[in-house]
Amino acid sequence: MPFGRRNVLLALLAIGAIVPAFANGYQLFVCNLVAIYILLAIGLNILVGYAGQLAFANAAMFGIGAYATGLLQVHLGWPFWAAFPSGGLIAAAVGTLLALPALRMSGLYLALSTLAFAQATQWVFLHWENVTFGAGGFKTPHLSFAPLPVDKSVGLYYLSIVLVVLLYLFGRHVVTSRIGRAFVAVRDSEVAAESLGIDLLRYKALAFGISGFYAGVAGGLYSALLNFVAPEGYDLFQMIIQKSTIVVGGMGSIAGSVIGASIIILVLELLREVKGMQEIAFGALLVGFVLFMRGGLIAVLRRYVRGWEEPLRMTPRDQAQALAQPEARPSAADK
Amino acid sequence: MLLFSYLLMSGVTTGALYALVALGIVVVNKATGVINFAQGEFFMFTGFVGWMLHVQFGLNYPLSFLLAVAVGFVLGMLTDRIAFRPIAKNDIVSLVLATVGIGFILKGLARVIWGGKADYLSFPPITSPDPIMVGPLMVIPQQLAVLAGTIIIMLVFAAFFRLTRAGKMMQATADNARAALLVGIRTDRIYTLAFGTGAAIAAAAAVLTAPLTLLYPDIGFAFFLKGFAAAVLGGLTSLPGAVLGGLIVGVAESLAGGYIHSSVMELSPFLVIMLVLVLRPSGLLSFRKARRV
Repeated sequence: MPFGRRNVLLALLAIGAIVPAFANGYQLFVCNLVAIYILLAIGLNILVGYAGQLAFANAAMFGIGAYATGLLQVHLGWPFWAAFPSGGLIAAAVGTLLALPALRMSGLYLALSTLAFAQATQWVFLHWENVTFGAGGFKTPHLSFAPLPVDKSVGLYYLSIVLVVLLYLFGRHVVTSRIGRAFVAVRDSEVAAESLGIDLLRYKALAFGISGFYAGVAGGLYSALLNFVAPEGYDLFQMIIQKSTIVVGGMGSIAGSVIGASIIILVLELLREVKGMQEIAFGALLVGFVLFMRGGLIAVLRRYVRGWEEPLRMTPRDQAQALAQPEARPSAADK
Repeated sequence: MLLFSYLLMSGVTTGALYALVALGIVVVNKATGVINFAQGEFFMFTGFVGWMLHVQFGLNYPLSFLLAVAVGFVLGMLTDRIAFRPIAKNDIVSLVLATVGIGFILKGLARVIWGGKADYLSFPPITSPDPIMVGPLMVIPQQLAVLAGTIIIMLVFAAFFRLTRAGKMMQATADNARAALLVGIRTDRIYTLAFGTGAAIAAAAAVLTAPLTLLYPDIGFAFFLKGFAAAVLGGLTSLPGAVLGGLIVGVAESLAGGYIHSSVMELSPFLVIMLVLVLRPSGLLSFRKARRV
């Protein structure tokens, strides 16, 4: 099966690995951005697509990761290599705390309270001026890969690629393990999940924590990529970009997150000139995919590409399709 | 005392506007069980429409107001047709994302159409901007006009629900959609009407507010969060609750802004939403403890 999921992703990785050999500075920057958004999309997909927690706080986690990584370097003089993992862990810790309101509410109410939380994070970035430097943001120290013979942009690119591969594999293993099955059970019915002995607090906290960690790591990379951190990078629009990546790629699919993030970032860069056009494009993408392609691009791949298999399908409709397939297949083959 | 009366008055005025936004959210939620995330963008977009009619086309204020409300109603009905009716039976994630998408399209449109002229557009005041003294209270006439407008809209709204056939059918649908369908009410039309009414109220609030504040494409989300905080305070399905919630949020915000720090104002909706949803999910007016799921 030449176009199986594994082969396609390995081919993408191979292309990704040789990008610095021929790309110019801007193209390398965009590819690095794609890598960062793949991390964000996988993290968000674990939380929304698998665990079914409709949270709007991942842009804030992304910001917390970026701010923590930057501020630990600026205020405490930590090296990047200590500040960066700490940023990821801090975002994971804040994410875990968000599971507490998620225990008491779900659906719309969770969406709105996490939205309010994200606004409050923005408020802290803006107004805690002696720590966060307020609306103007701050510059992060220049990153150097000293013993290695690479300059900053190439080094950061390879660091991002390595992290994407590692966290992709981690994400895949999480969702196909007992934990992932517990997430899906919580998503499909909390009551049924609890009666199967799944500890809601534990698994919700785990989903929020893992998701926060991905966002925090992505934030750390983002701050190093831009050498600059400011509040407006982590606002509601950021959240919509991330939501679009998983809606376009496919909810409940790690491979879909990779595809969605790549496409969304390319669209974003093509429309960079006019913010209004970006907003119209993303709104239209969201509405269009929700209305006409609910499984995202991954559902199309699964349907038309032989050998493309996805572990742990996502929507009830997908499950219905899967059940219907044994009858549907022969008739399709007859044609 | 002068400061207090001023803060109280401006709190009541903004609170009345939040109450209108909250009413729009509650009307849609009551009928359909969905929170319309585009509500704030309806507010912003129709505010710009009002500005365009009044300032660019030179129509008088009442006519611009009515036309903006009509545009809001149509926008709301379109939202129902595009982003609610085709997917009404799907999961809540799709419904939320669809209205978020509609909101972003409106925001982008506003930025493309009106954002280029100046980032902040000002709406000319409809009364004299000088404050007057009513006994010990310092009042800005514009605030009085806004307050009066808000009260009139609320009364019209209450009359619509109590007295008209459409209003009664909406109440019946909100009460029990299946039973309403059984007695011959076309509930899908009621949903369209609810979305349209919600957006029309947002439009009325926007054109009333516009002379007091500046218009910019990002204004919608702030009003949406505050309106939602007000609606949550009132329990999300109660119309009087939404009005009370709006007044509480407005006054609390104004007093906190005046006595603590102006930056605290932006934090108040977050605190209200979190505290109410965690501690008292059924709202202030309800005595029944229920979990919101």
